[in-house]
Amino acid sequence: MATEGLHENETLASLKSEAESLKGKLEEERAKLHDVELHQVADRVEALGQFVMKTRRTLKGHGNKVLCMDWCKDKRRIVSSSQDGKVIVWDSFTTNKEHAVTMPCTWVMACAYAPSGCAIACGGLDNKCSVYPLTFDKNENMAAKKKSVAMHTNYLSACSFTNSDMQILTASGDGTCALWDVESGQLLQSFHGHGADVLCLDLAPSETGNTFVSGGCDKKAMVWDMRSGQCIQSFETHESDINSVRYYPSGDAFASGSDDATCRLYDLRADREVAIYSKESIIFGASSVDFSLSGRLLFAGYNDYTINVWDVLKGSRVSILFGHENRVSTLRVSPDGTAFCSGSWDHTLRIWA
Amino acid sequence: MKEVVSNSTTNISQARKAVEQLKMEAYMDRIKVSKAAADLLAYCDAHIGEDPLIMPVPASENPFREKKLFCTIL
Repeated sequence: MATEGLHENETLASLKSEAESLKGKLEEERAKLHDVELHQVADRVEALGQFVMKTRRTLKGHGNKVLCMDWCKDKRRIVSSSQDGKVIVWDSFTTNKEHAVTMPCTWVMACAYAPSGCAIACGGLDNKCSVYPLTFDKNENMAAKKKSVAMHTNYLSACSFTNSDMQILTASGDGTCALWDVESGQLLQSFHGHGADVLCLDLAPSETGNTFVSGGCDKKAMVWDMRSGQCIQSFETHESDINSVRYYPSGDAFASGSDDATCRLYDLRADREVAIYSKESIIFGASSVDFSLSGRLLFAGYNDYTINVWDVLKGSRVSILFGHENRVSTLRVSPDGTAFCSGSWDHTLRIWA
Repeated sequence: MKEVVSNSTTNISQARKAVEQLKMEAYMDRIKVSKAAADLLAYCDAHIGEDPLIMPVPASENPFREKKLFCTIL
């Protein structure tokens, strides 16, 4: 009756204790290969020189907290979304606004530019991810062509197109990630495993294959196989919510930013955390992280309004950038690495170079 | 009674999944940190010369650092 499907010696208790001993085995195997620290190996690398990075543009126009932004592949246009429901497309060279749409919900926590540059995706408290084609016809109402693609059972926290305009990957407060076909709105794959809200995701650089990493309120970063839906690796060393995850440009590692005020680097082939970027004086959470083109620098935006620039290899901070007048909520380096953009609760976006 | 039965079956299958997942993670192939670190260093080294935020290109080639104003002819 109730024992149908149960193998002879298997009980809930025995499975739980097997899980505990496997967790111990996992740590043991990881520890065996921990022969050196990254910053020790990096001792022989030349130190970086002085940095002069300033705000070169300020994008003003949002009426409330900026929550998310993304660059267009043309290295010039930017899409940003805010708490008041507005999504704006900017020309970052001129600071002109090219498109604007008002979502039917507030807290648009996620937005992304399509690889073709012809559409944007966004969502938030509406639990959906919607795609808007970008049109230059002044008579056309952008909102009219809106297409609802993803449906979650809680807020949308992150979204990203895959290699084409045809598929979108989403992360949600409902604890799952999902892959959707844009044209039909069909769910192609779902990713279950996080024990709480998923807050961020990043796709592996295309050369490295079909994987992505996600971070959540369960303090875990998980790496997924996009085709099978299976979790390949998971890392649990942060002490609080993981707000942001970003792949190292080679695809062999990824960085994370957390409410525990640290950023960390995890190497995928060594299967462990290999660096922590922290200082006693930094006590506010890191909301967003991104690498410079070579992977040598990690830019991280914090809830104390600053941006810290870290030497990824040596583990030291090389610069601290002031300018925003409230939390930095989002940060992305431009596709050609010439600048990075930060968005803040102070209603503005800044371009730094 | 039925509810209790199905709950325990779900818990068992969840626990079994967790064990399978952990087995896969515990027995994956790994490399030493020294090798992984060396590869991260090598990648940085190979690309640092083209990193515009580390090796600044002349101001005239970085559209954000340029001093000239962008105007559109209306």
